[in-house]
Amino acid sequence: MNARRRTARILAFALLAALAGPLIHGVLQLPAPGSADAPAHANVTANYVERGAESGGAENLVTGVLLNFRALDTFGEVIVIFTAWLAAAAVAGAVSETGRRAIPVSPVVDYVIRALGPFIAAFALFVIVNGHVLPGGGFQGGVVLGAMLILLSLVLGPAPVAGAFSARHWAWLRATGVLVFAATAVIGLALTGHLFGLPAEPVLRKSLMIVLELGIGIGGGAVLAGLFFAVSGVQRS
Amino acid sequence: MSPTDLLDLVLLALLLTGAIGIAMLKDLAACAIVFSAYSFVMCLVWAHRGAPDVAMTEAAVGAGITTVLFLTVVSRVGRREK
Repeated sequence: MNARRRTARILAFALLAALAGPLIHGVLQLPAPGSADAPAHANVTANYVERGAESGGAENLVTGVLLNFRALDTFGEVIVIFTAWLAAAAVAGAVSETGRRAIPVSPVVDYVIRALGPFIAAFALFVIVNGHVLPGGGFQGGVVLGAMLILLSLVLGPAPVAGAFSARHWAWLRATGVLVFAATAVIGLALTGHLFGLPAEPVLRKSLMIVLELGIGIGGGAVLAGLFFAVSGVQRS
Repeated sequence: MSPTDLLDLVLLALLLTGAIGIAMLKDLAACAIVFSAYSFVMCLVWAHRGAPDVAMTEAAVGAGITTVLFLTVVSRVGRREK
């Protein structure tokens, strides 16, 4: 047993070394961080910075890249977090125990979280709908929303928060990001001729982006709260 | 060395300490807390490097939600690494 363990350790070390070698070799060949003449900065970034605000449709360049230039990647990410919840719910559902109660917290913490809740929710909404001009957007607002739901279920106990919607409605809420994104992709195809295309007309484009951000935000927040419900055993699915 | 670079060095040193600490610790609850601190320092690095979008996500997800998720799971599976 001991000899086998040692062999396993040596093997693991050899494997890691074999993996680390090429990785370090690759990293050493990367251009210096922040160097202006790296290919990515000289071509792609320069183009985004120069014309991104108008062609991406958002003053916040990050949002322009996320929702427009790299919309397919973002769509993938939205699907990934939804799938993460599906997997967590499937695994946790098998070992679920119900009736867990609120962890006793000090009255000060309890009061502060209850009092802050509405403000955190308002901030989340603000971050979501202002994603095209200010730092933030659907993802960021969504995680703030999810954090607020988790905080509330820590003080109130998960049951009242999880019970705010039926399990079916929670499932639909969690799918919002994926569904809204897919819908805008098709709308983009109809309006511009490209999947994920955003129309050039400013008002239409902005409203489409805000709907998209709201979908990602609500879906993301519901997924994160769902992950918490799944691991703490309150909600089967 | 400019003060900006100095701040970066301090933050990176903190990150390194945190990462080594997480690998060495045997108490899983302590790991989760150190991970949370690590994420918060990472959030400062992002903010300092001019990436507020990423910093916001790092603060909410890294320092907040994953810590709660880790602690919840640790409370169900036991605290000591076997």
